[in-house]
Amino acid sequence: MAGTRPGRLRRLEPVAFLWIALIAALLVLVAAPLLKLLLVSFEMQETGEFTFQNYLTAYGRQRYLDALRNSLLLGMLSAAISVVIAVPMAWAVSRTDMPGKGFTWATVLAAFIMPPYLGAIGWILLAGPNSGWINQVWRAATGAEAPLVNIYTFTGMAFVIALHSFPLVFIFVKSALDLISSEMEDAANILGGGTWTTMRKVTLPLVWPSILGSFILIFLETIALFGTPAIIGIPARINVVTTQLWQFFEDPVRVEVAAAYAIPLLLITVGLIAVQKMLLSRKGFVSQTGKGGERRQVKLGPWRWVLFGWCLAVAMLAVVKPLMVLLQASFAKAWGRGFSFDNLTLRNYRFLLFEHDMAPQATWNTVWFSAASATIAAVLALLVAYIVIRRLMRLADALGFLAMAPFVIPGIVMAIGFYAAYAGPPLSLYGSALLIILAFAARFLPIAYANSQAAIRAVHPEMEEAARILGSGRLHAIRRVTAPLLKTSLLGGWLVVFIVASRELSAAIFLVGPRTRTMSVLLYDLTEQGNFEVVSAFGGILLLITMAIVGIGMKLVGRDFMLRRE
Amino acid sequence: MFLIDRRQMLALAAWSAAATKAWAQAPMHDQERALYEAAKREGEITWYTGQYSADASEAAGRAFNERYPGVRCNVVRSTSQVAFQRLSQDFRAGVGQCDVFSSTNGGHYVQLKRQNRLVQFRPVNADGLLPILRTPDPDNYFQSTFLGIYLMAHNTRMVSEAEAPKSWTDILDPKWKDRLAVGHPGFSGAIGLWALQMRTMFGPDYLRRFERNKPQVGRSSIDPVTMMNAGERAVGVAVPSASTLFAASRGNPLRLIYPTEGVIAALSPSAIPTNAPHPNAAKLFQEFQTGPALSAAVRLLFNESIRPDVPPPEGSRPLDQVTMLAPSLEAAERGVPEVREQWREIFGV
Repeated sequence: MAGTRPGRLRRLEPVAFLWIALIAALLVLVAAPLLKLLLVSFEMQETGEFTFQNYLTAYGRQRYLDALRNSLLLGMLSAAISVVIAVPMAWAVSRTDMPGKGFTWATVLAAFIMPPYLGAIGWILLAGPNSGWINQVWRAATGAEAPLVNIYTFTGMAFVIALHSFPLVFIFVKSALDLISSEMEDAANILGGGTWTTMRKVTLPLVWPSILGSFILIFLETIALFGTPAIIGIPARINVVTTQLWQFFEDPVRVEVAAAYAIPLLLITVGLIAVQKMLLSRKGFVSQTGKGGERRQVKLGPWRWVLFGWCLAVAMLAVVKPLMVLLQASFAKAWGRGFSFDNLTLRNYRFLLFEHDMAPQATWNTVWFSAASATIAAVLALLVAYIVIRRLMRLADALGFLAMAPFVIPGIVMAIGFYAAYAGPPLSLYGSALLIILAFAARFLPIAYANSQAAIRAVHPEMEEAARILGSGRLHAIRRVTAPLLKTSLLGGWLVVFIVASRELSAAIFLVGPRTRTMSVLLYDLTEQGNFEVVSAFGGILLLITMAIVGIGMKLVGRDFMLRRE
Repeated sequence: MFLIDRRQMLALAAWSAAATKAWAQAPMHDQERALYEAAKREGEITWYTGQYSADASEAAGRAFNERYPGVRCNVVRSTSQVAFQRLSQDFRAGVGQCDVFSSTNGGHYVQLKRQNRLVQFRPVNADGLLPILRTPDPDNYFQSTFLGIYLMAHNTRMVSEAEAPKSWTDILDPKWKDRLAVGHPGFSGAIGLWALQMRTMFGPDYLRRFERNKPQVGRSSIDPVTMMNAGERAVGVAVPSASTLFAASRGNPLRLIYPTEGVIAALSPSAIPTNAPHPNAAKLFQEFQTGPALSAAVRLLFNESIRPDVPPPEGSRPLDQVTMLAPSLEAAERGVPEVREQWREIFGV
């Protein structure tokens, strides 16, 4: 027990070395690739001379500007739809007596686990203007000519993205809601506020940081998304930043122009985060203290069924329907022929499991890359968040900024930063597992960081201070007091990173080598041909693996992590 | 046309399977044997390919593994432009990962050769290829490994045979609005060749008029086949005959259309990059691709055989009865990037 050792050694806390290592890790993971990106954006290809030409090329065409505008609009729209979908669900599950909470949790989890590109494929099968099941049923029922829904549109794309992003809002908002004790609401009730007024004036404002934070997160996730825009956007003729960046990497690989194209995006998102900080500054959101607090459910009466209906509808759209069509396709010889016994086959699974050269390897890669990067991200994020919130260092804010920074550029550009910094000599990491693990860890550091930050912010330092007063060292106090309090949140963070890493495409697409392809990249390659039967089967395997991991996680941390808190 | 009854059909299938096995086990010649011994020490070969479909590429990889135990083929299948992009990234990073590069866009090889990025090697088996495929490059920096036929096809439930388009210009008729599907020249090498050929034959306005019919744009040239299977679109433009016949064999209502002007023929090479990490295995793979074992494996998935000693696939028109249109490799090198850019201006993606 090093921390409890008496004498002088106690004052020389080993923690200082840890902080230095932490700074070094952040520099390698975040600062160096970003810096390299910035430098490269001013370099002439081949010669490396200083130039502004890349910016002129990157923004010198209407098409390129349109792509930027499309991305920004898409990000806003998807994030807005996600908030609309998720906030009522989070409130209902956390604060009310709505029935079917376990079901709602399962929905959120399933929607979250489902990779967005898989959802996109499911929705192509559902809402293709001519062949989609929904439109076929609609035509058969009404005799109409025109389709009811068309996935190949801007709103269609935003909607599909939101259906797989809303869980982030739900998770953040719900965990914030969980921490608010009913006393605050009771106070409002006593002063004459009804349920709705209380929710509007007291409850929601208290979770405002999580709503805003998750909105920004989804905005940034969306503009970084590559799979869905490639799968739906190309047929819909919508060019976005990521698909445009892809074009800059066509031969000759114009990393310089791509970097220049990405830098203004960086400014926009830095601006967003500044706005977030401004909006939240000088307001207290501490809701978990050393004192106990009671949490009671709001009684909704008949309204609880309305809310349940909402959750049910979301479940249908985000999970049940896409999953059903994907499942059907994965067992079909030809999915367009619908369900019939002579259309059933195991061939798609057999092809992947026994005949495909890369599928087993890619599956294994996905599992261990995700686990490794989730671990790296979770540990780094916890330490950084701790330093920032407890203000242990003068440069703490800079560290926090570095940890959040990966979200200011799309994953695809993050990958290019990594490509530019580490792919070639002297490190020559291109095609190695390490490169992808580091890139994933860096890319998802902000998720882990936001998670740790929210968790630590909600724990009042007084408990830790008590331990410190009793002679505990900093690390010891973290380990014995803070960490146990944060255990479930941290594992939650780890799982979140694992899941998003296991489905990550845009950061992987430029970094994978032939031996390090992940399931997402292989799926993307398979979708090129529109071979939806095999794609669905592979997606099914991916979902099974993720579900197994989540199941193990739930077992380890206890049911209370994933299910409601009574 | 002659009719084959069920028994003959079975006999034919049995013969075909036996013959495939025989080709796979055909004795090695001296160069091949020497390469095999050297390749065994390298252990593996990584193949970037955009030529055969995913299924057929995997089948080819397995055929290679069976013929040369101890050398493993890593199949990295994508569209040709994507494969080329990955190769370019490898070169830029200075990390060699690809042993054999196979693209439908022959222009890639002209460029790579000029940049001194290819290894000179002539497989002995290349002498046994179809005459038109024997010498794609007099300096032997690349060798033919693929003959892809790109034509039109229709969903027979949505469009009758009589009603279906007959020529490449028929699809410009406004009556095909919202009923066509096509790949993307930014991804598919074959679609690049097709767009270039159309521009050459019918003038620069062809693509613009084609766009007015709002074709559904996928990525791979194979994508429209799925769209037809699903009933999303009625007519696939510039689809590969192999994938269409394969889909039809799985019960989809598809029929090939041989346009009156001729089909687009991708006579496509493969090559070994100078930074290939397994140079001997790469050469062995080139022997394999030009030899009978590859053709025997891919013909089962309806791809054209590239050798006269391996029969063509079932269901496709014999090559001597079709007019083959193809831009030269040099025209493709310059023209495909041009037409790709023009496409993006017209289509927006």
